Amino acid sequence: MVERILILILSLIGLWGIVYKKNIIKKIYGLTILNSSVVILFILEGSQIGKNAPIMGKGVRDMVDPVPQALMLTAIVIGVCITALSLAIAFRLYRFTGSFDIDEIREKVSHGTD
Amino acid sequence: MELTDLILAPVVLPLIGASLAFCAKAFHKNDKAWKLESFAAAIGLGLPLLLLVYLFQFVNLGQSIQVSIGRWPGNIGILYRFDGIAWLVSLLGFTVGSAAWVYSQGSGPKGPGFTTTFLIQTASMAAAAMTVDLFNLFVCLEVMGLASYILVASSEKPGAYLASFSYLMISATAMVFFLIGLLGFYKLTGSLSYEGISSVLDSLPQKGGTMATASLALIVAAVAIRVAIMPLYGWLPDAHALAPHSISAVLSGVLIKAPLFALTRLLIVMPGGGDVGRLLSYTGAITALAGVIIALSQKDTKQLLAYHSISQIGYVVCAWGAAIAAGITTPAGIALFSASFLHALYHALFKGLLFLTVGTTTDLAGERNVYKLRNAALSLHKAGEKVPITFLCFLTAAFAITAIPPFNGYASKAALSYTLKGSWQGLFLYAASLGTVASFIKLSRIYLPDKKSISPSTGMNMPLGKIKKTAQFSQLFLALMCIISGIAALPMSRLVLRLLGEVESDSLPPYLFSVENYTKTGLVVLGGILLYFLISTKSGKKVLQLIRNRPKMFHGNFVALSLGMAFLFYWIKLSN
Repeated sequence: MVERILILILSLIGLWGIVYKKNIIKKIYGLTILNSSVVILFILEGSQIGKNAPIMGKGVRDMVDPVPQALMLTAIVIGVCITALSLAIAFRLYRFTGSFDIDEIREKVSHGTD
Repeated sequence: MELTDLILAPVVLPLIGASLAFCAKAFHKNDKAWKLESFAAAIGLGLPLLLLVYLFQFVNLGQSIQVSIGRWPGNIGILYRFDGIAWLVSLLGFTVGSAAWVYSQGSGPKGPGFTTTFLIQTASMAAAAMTVDLFNLFVCLEVMGLASYILVASSEKPGAYLASFSYLMISATAMVFFLIGLLGFYKLTGSLSYEGISSVLDSLPQKGGTMATASLALIVAAVAIRVAIMPLYGWLPDAHALAPHSISAVLSGVLIKAPLFALTRLLIVMPGGGDVGRLLSYTGAITALAGVIIALSQKDTKQLLAYHSISQIGYVVCAWGAAIAAGITTPAGIALFSASFLHALYHALFKGLLFLTVGTTTDLAGERNVYKLRNAALSLHKAGEKVPITFLCFLTAAFAITAIPPFNGYASKAALSYTLKGSWQGLFLYAASLGTVASFIKLSRIYLPDKKSISPSTGMNMPLGKIKKTAQFSQLFLALMCIISGIAALPMSRLVLRLLGEVESDSLPPYLFSVENYTKTGLVVLGGILLYFLISTKSGKKVLQLIRNRPKMFHGNFVALSLGMAFLFYWIKLSN
């Protein structure tokens, strides 16, 4: 139960970062934390039924469920892509506006287009 | 090669094309790079279209071809199913995609990087239409999302970067919730394929109870973000308005519908899916009306079109949700579903055309403000367009979206009002079409000469460049499609009906081109003109300004997402 509560706290920290932090780099951190918390949750749920790593070999028994781990490998790859892309966009935004603050960026950008 | 391998080609061919286009970066000489890039696009966009023509004979017989990727057994492997829905969605995607790619070769963005991203996006769209595996749907949506964030940002405007960033943040967060929902289903059923999940859920006490309900709510809300149904639409207007024109056409035409039809497969087998459908049908009707009211208040031409996309997707979702609620195997359900698809297809054609023509016009005139830009037809003429192709194409699309016969919007809106007859949603859509007429009168004025400064010597109408042949070509292509699909609406609707199900039904009134229907259209147009005069008054303009300047915040999207999820959860819970 403790693990689940910790994961919940972790994901809430991530969500809080995305929504309430003004700095876009911190928002990206928040997204990464949120993503990681779900990865940990999947691994935790997969490990409920066994103890050993799911590597086929002689005499390996009592394996954990391998499916969540396989899924999470994919999810981690996608998460890395998203982090990289969002950092690249953040960099471009900084070059245009000289700021990482989302409100300031919005103000400068909307002045530019009007 | 077997048939089961062949149906993977709409996904694999664009990916092959994407890698070829990427290789074009190796050439320093532009000419060779361009040749390889065009070859890649032909493989990635043209060949799948030919293949769809070939595959038509199988789906026409009502066959649904299932393939497991890598020939893994069904309970572990990823299953793809190619049937009527997949065929229709792929057709929509590849047609509009090809036109948009041709357009972008003249007017930008172009280059190997662009073609690669574009083809990856198309591949993920085709995959989302075929997959019957929940995790694979997640991957398809993420890949589609990644490609579209890049493409939105590729117009290199600061605003586009911000729009892309907001879009990325909200949809990446939503996809995390999608994963949590997926975990819920996996824990309950130990399966990831739609059929596997639903068959185990059916055997569970209370069909999985709260956990199944919560999982479904999380997944549907995450997909609804991509479709931009009303409370979850915040990312769309800026992203669609600031993207390059060809990308706006694809985003509005195709990419907001692919997730919706992918969701169909899940909802029709899931317990509680019907309740979700009913709720989405209601929100669709509200979206249609609210979207058009906000569209009416916009001053940026492409923002106006973007809000119209929200409104039109509301039409689609309204009929689609009602179809899911009625059950897709009943005559009423299948009629609603085919009406909804018909409108999705026709909207892709005319909205793509609208974005391209208005984009061409505003680029050449150097002005995007609806209230300032006037006499754009003259600018186009000066830019080397002796026959006013762009203007005529714009008119075609505007007539289509305002449902004037014989253009295609007339047929699909007739189908929607025929199938939704007698429900309050139908009334909402009727009111929304008045707003559509009024806002397109407003938008069309950019082509008309200004009363005050009618002399063209003021320098206002000096074009900023020459009109591109590729732009004219793709606009003409889409305009022709709008007219042909409008005239051939009856056979088209029968075709869609046959591909979607074997139930005998009718989604169009038997006499589509009749005096009675013309009178209805006439009334809508009259009402629209009246509304236009109403908003042109002083107090009307004040109301519009209030709507336009309503506060927009970054976290508004997130509040809407959490409220949407909670509401969806209680809705399913209470309906059971």
